[in-house]
Amino acid sequence: NGDDLLRPLESCISDAERFKGAATLELTCTCGAHFTFGGIQESPSYSVTFSGIHCNGCGTELSSLRITSQLERLIRKHISLYYAGWVECDDVSCGVHTRQVSVYGKRCIGNTGRSVGCKGVISYVYTDRELYNQLLYLESLFDVDKARRQELRPLQDDRDDKSSPDSGEMKKGISQSTLDALAEQNRDTFRAFQSVVQKYFEQCGRRYVDMASLFNFS
Amino acid sequence: PKKYQFRTMRQKLLDTADVLDEQIDSMAKTLQKHHKIPESEFGNPCIASQFSVYCCGRIVPDSPSAPVEIRLNPDSLFLETSRLGGIGQRISIDVQFLSEYSFFPGQIVGFKGKNPSGERFIVEQVLDIPYLGAPASNKTELLEYKTNLDGSSMKTTVLSGPYTPSTKIDYSLLESFVEKLNTEIKPHSVIMFGPFLDITHPSIKDGSIESVPEIQGKKITTLDGFFRAVITPILKKIDSRIQVILIPSTRDSISSHAAYPQNSFERKSLQLPKNFKCFPNPSSFQLNECLIGVSNLDSFKDIKDVNRGKIGEKNRFDRIADHILQQRRYYPSFPGALKTRTGSDGTVEHISGADLDMPYMGLSELYDVLPDVLIIPSEMRYFVRVVKNVVVINPGYFLTGNNAGTYVTLSVKPPNPEGDDDDLTCINDDDQLYIHNIWKRARVDIISV
Repeated sequence: NGDDLLRPLESCISDAERFKGAATLELTCTCGAHFTFGGIQESPSYSVTFSGIHCNGCGTELSSLRITSQLERLIRKHISLYYAGWVECDDVSCGVHTRQVSVYGKRCIGNTGRSVGCKGVISYVYTDRELYNQLLYLESLFDVDKARRQELRPLQDDRDDKSSPDSGEMKKGISQSTLDALAEQNRDTFRAFQSVVQKYFEQCGRRYVDMASLFNFS
Repeated sequence: PKKYQFRTMRQKLLDTADVLDEQIDSMAKTLQKHHKIPESEFGNPCIASQFSVYCCGRIVPDSPSAPVEIRLNPDSLFLETSRLGGIGQRISIDVQFLSEYSFFPGQIVGFKGKNPSGERFIVEQVLDIPYLGAPASNKTELLEYKTNLDGSSMKTTVLSGPYTPSTKIDYSLLESFVEKLNTEIKPHSVIMFGPFLDITHPSIKDGSIESVPEIQGKKITTLDGFFRAVITPILKKIDSRIQVILIPSTRDSISSHAAYPQNSFERKSLQLPKNFKCFPNPSSFQLNECLIGVSNLDSFKDIKDVNRGKIGEKNRFDRIADHILQQRRYYPSFPGALKTRTGSDGTVEHISGADLDMPYMGLSELYDVLPDVLIIPSEMRYFVRVVKNVVVINPGYFLTGNNAGTYVTLSVKPPNPEGDDDDLTCINDDDQLYIHNIWKRARVDIISV
């Protein structure tokens, strides 16, 4: 299927690399605190315990609905952003950034607006590949097996670059045995969170290969 | 309907372009046929010529960076040609010799004019776009509808979301309305437009939807679960003798098809009984003889025209409804509208938009006939107008902000093909076909919730 066309390349790279450009999931707690949720890993702002996700500010556990509603809102925002249909010219000297599309699609309207002159190629700014990656990233946050293997995208992407002793400590924050236990304890609830992402995967055209486009070489 | 079950999130630029191109060419054909213009008199408006030519194209702004929110002015209009009509080039248009016009971005127009210098196409005449025909029914069908109604009028209630205040998630107003529907209004059918649970509601964004009183105690883990636990029970209370038609919004949390044209809800997954029908957005359907066209995307707000002359003095909603009927598309604007919020630090946050899935916009066309009744809910003030014999309705929102809004009841006198009144127009004596003339037989009331 279509996935196989992508996977050999993309699945080889780590989540840290693959999801670098993906927007993070920001959660708001009942106490008003905001934090970036990065799955089961060490964070100064939240902790995953045997009973769920807790805010470190006030200690409250975030309810499932509180989490899924914010997650779904983020997904829908990205789908809508995708459908805003911004396009861009690849010629740096032109740099047109617009939502207008020429009847030729890839031809640039140019700064004159007359659709003549610029030889640049137009393409969507937010590609379906990026949107698909964004959904995959959000799904990965609740992937307990990835969390166990410590393969999640780190909360601070640049942590590895600055090998300060502090960040080294941080990484060891949760011991492997605790991680294993947390993963098992949260498996079912996290699967329910993943189902919110899967609702959109079922819709996502990128998941399904378009046979016509494969065999049409015109 | 199968056609609406396309997969979203896979929009290809070339498919988008094909649709944009085809819109121009199919209108060109319609105009040629209607005005009986020989093909040889159609020309490319982008190249210099001493003679007047006919041409067809799309109204676009003169600058690629013009934001959609900005209203165009008469000096900032370009005409985009099709691949066939002018190899896709765009030309500045000069409208100063027109005594009246109304143009908006995305509109397909036919012009007669000339381009003496090669720089500017001077428009001499705007070609009228022919209207689609009105739907008709034969005598047998009409008599059957008449018998079914047993002398009384066909009554339909129309309402549109949001159904919650903008500051909290609370369905008590809808709950009491259902009671009123069952005991007082008692219509034959109800058309309900989404959003039922608006994904852009602030209580979803910050997660505070969990604090809704009715759900405390029940374990609800997702927004879909919330719909079934809170909204489904309210809708189920609608008397089973009333036919309920649900039209989704792209802002409905329960829909995973977050693009326009939008597939219908799944009745079974919403756990709704059989008196509920789920239709796509947009769609058209018949209630007895009456053909109703519905679209849940705010064309009345999003079409911003630049106009001049008598047409500009007309009621704005008449003008826009007329554009929709002429363009034969429920949402003729392109690009679609965007809703953003600018933060205090100047960053622009995307909130929502028209979310047009361009390759599938063919599904938003009016096809072969005009509807008898056109319903497009809008954030703008409620209204009912008759435009080209089509009853055009904006029911207003059920709640506007935190205040009770409006709904509409549409009553249509039963058809009587045997009567002497001019309620129906016989168009063909042999087949006994009649135009419905719903506009003559309908009464529309706008009522405060």
